[in-house]
Amino acid sequence: MIEIWYAILCFMLVMFVVLEGFDIGAGILQHVAGRTDAERRMVIAAIGPLWSWHEVWLVAFGGVLFVAFPAILAVSFAGFYLAFFLLLWALVLRGVSIEVSGHIADPLWRTAWHFIFAASNVLLAILIGAALGNVVRGVPLGAGGKFTLSFFTNFSPRGGVGILDWFTISVAVFILVTFAAHGANGLVLKTEGPVHDRSLRIARLLWKAVLALLVVVTIETWQVRPELFSGMTHKPFAWLGLISVISGLSAVFTGLRSKRELRAVIGSSVFIAGLMISGAASVFPIMLHSTLAPEYSLSAYNNAAAGHGLAVALVWWPVSLIFSVAYFLFIYRHYTGKVKPTDDTQQPY
Amino acid sequence: MEETLFWSRLQFAFTITYHYLFPQLTMGLAWIIVFFKWRHVKTGEERYGDAARFWARIFGINFGVGVVTGIPMEFQFGTNWAEFSKFSGNVIGQTLAMEGMFAFFLESAMVGAMVWGEKRLGPRNHFLATAGVALGSWLSGYFILTTNAFMQHPAGHSAAADGTLQLANLAAFLLNPWAMIMFLHNQCAALVTGSFVVAAVGALYALRGRHAEQASLFLKTGTLVGLFSCLLVAFPTGDQQAKMVAKHQPVALAAMEGRFHSGTNAELNIIGQPNVREQRIDNPVRVPSVLSILAFGHVSANVQGLDSFPEDEWPTNIELLYYAFHIMAGLGTLFILLMGIANFQRWRGRLEKSRGLLWVLMLAFPFPYIATTAGWMTAELGRQPWLIFKLYRTSQGVSEVVSGGDVLFTLIGFTGLYFVLGVLYLFLIGREIAHGPQGVSLTGKPEVSHD
Repeated sequence: MIEIWYAILCFMLVMFVVLEGFDIGAGILQHVAGRTDAERRMVIAAIGPLWSWHEVWLVAFGGVLFVAFPAILAVSFAGFYLAFFLLLWALVLRGVSIEVSGHIADPLWRTAWHFIFAASNVLLAILIGAALGNVVRGVPLGAGGKFTLSFFTNFSPRGGVGILDWFTISVAVFILVTFAAHGANGLVLKTEGPVHDRSLRIARLLWKAVLALLVVVTIETWQVRPELFSGMTHKPFAWLGLISVISGLSAVFTGLRSKRELRAVIGSSVFIAGLMISGAASVFPIMLHSTLAPEYSLSAYNNAAAGHGLAVALVWWPVSLIFSVAYFLFIYRHYTGKVKPTDDTQQPY
Repeated sequence: MEETLFWSRLQFAFTITYHYLFPQLTMGLAWIIVFFKWRHVKTGEERYGDAARFWARIFGINFGVGVVTGIPMEFQFGTNWAEFSKFSGNVIGQTLAMEGMFAFFLESAMVGAMVWGEKRLGPRNHFLATAGVALGSWLSGYFILTTNAFMQHPAGHSAAADGTLQLANLAAFLLNPWAMIMFLHNQCAALVTGSFVVAAVGALYALRGRHAEQASLFLKTGTLVGLFSCLLVAFPTGDQQAKMVAKHQPVALAAMEGRFHSGTNAELNIIGQPNVREQRIDNPVRVPSVLSILAFGHVSANVQGLDSFPEDEWPTNIELLYYAFHIMAGLGTLFILLMGIANFQRWRGRLEKSRGLLWVLMLAFPFPYIATTAGWMTAELGRQPWLIFKLYRTSQGVSEVVSGGDVLFTLIGFTGLYFVLGVLYLFLIGREIAHGPQGVSLTGKPEVSHD
């Protein structure tokens, strides 16, 4: 039961990171891939109208964490207090900028909101990256089973850590570049004309950087948490993740070279999913690792909610998933193919 | 600890009060837009299509602010109320997760296409998307009110071995009678807000002499929906809500009415200021026996006063609770009166010529917001000092590791951010209303506004 809920949570987080990773990545590149106002509107049209459906995966992930592992939710949300509010404010600003930037065709209005849009996406990528880095590195859980993190301490990933240290910063940079590269693949698929051509050039460049950073971050992870790698050998999901990473990457590179756009997007999605899956499998069953002493770490087994609630949720959750995907398909089938500026950019006056 | 508790309460109260300004219009307006869309598809009359498009643009702005101010609410359970989340997560996490899975996915998939995708979707699917958003917003309301109902009147739970709560009976939890009545009461109030806003814009156009066709459509729809929803808010939903409070939270009822002493033939205070130190109502205007009738259905029923309860179970802010309840109930009564007169005049065909009444309708739209806010203050202040009524105190639920200074910092951050959001919202909504409903037609380029 606990393994199933852990897997469901991982699935939801993977969905969020893959889908929202595209939106965030496209947002990061908005000013690079789009030079004119019309081109920048095209970038926003490429992520709409389903960007908020993507974002709901995070909210729903929070809800399911609440049901299945309330103690983990309580400890981590309170521990990351200030970081969570930064994340919330960035989400607020990004949502508002998508919503309002199209309303008025005034150049100053557009420039201001497009800047906020791009900047909040950069901030979101860094925050999500740093959060993932923190989960891998661990947090200073003490004997009381609680922790609190300041933004930084001495930038060392051991002992009394902060949110940012050299390890989590490099994970954040890696995620920033990966999201941008993923977003570039998506823009190649969803757009035509100059935005498409620029995105293709950017994608080819960025994926080389992703490859280089992947090597760096892997070596760093081995430095910070060597036991994750030795534990991987007998975990089939970690192998599945690893295979996904490799096959995803090769699909991206071959797709970009031969201009098979869909293949590149599927490749980058599989790559990101593979990273998340191998990470989640290798840390399991520890959900929050303690940097102070291993015995203070919080395990999924000791922190899951009581049985009946989980059994009940296991009945309704798959039903809700089917509904959710049905809603998505109902709308998405009207939005396949390239963005049409006449239909998809909002009509201002 | 004390400081963290105080600032966390204030932050939650501020962010939820601000947030709920938007969903109440979303939930009320959604079905009115569905109605316009349905008439458009059915009759092909362009005035309905224009009306649906005009309100959908306003809906889109309103929905956007509602979404971005809503996400912090769910996160605050974990960040600020960690102990409460740990204690009750297995129960209330169910509805919070269901809200995400069943309601938010529905709304978020459909809303973009509803506001901007009429051309892409075609009439039938666009109608379905609009109805989907309306349904999703009401589902979301249901799940969150069930969560709140558990805090007001816990049902369907049992104690787990580690001292936390666990789900024992999903049906009892989801079909909590408190949730049912509160949901109906709250949704009718959302329709009041939606209809008052529609009527106010109709009144504005009528007074200005612009968009005559739309003005009368908005006035007709707004006042008609307004009258029915105002009546339903008071009776049976409001009445049943009060009876439930009387039965299950008698201490809250005593504080709402400023009733310090128990007794039969309980009088209803229409006006008067509670004086907690002297334990009396100053300058009261009272109607004898009415409280007994409202609470228990007969004249001689004993209504318990605060003196029947230990002082550490009294609501913590009796004055505010008393005023909130009386403002809600008083405004609710005035709404029925206003909508009654407006419908009577419309029936006589005089509404659009009664400038005085149009002025009142135009300026009345803020009051449903005040009434719903006061209603929620009544519910939430009445629940104090409990987080889960009679089960878990508010002071037990706050995060232990978060400092008061951190919470004050984020509260100030929200204040600034939400101020900017509010200004932006009013600017954009004002612009839409000034531009008017002829807006962007489906067939051609944006029409140029001539007035």
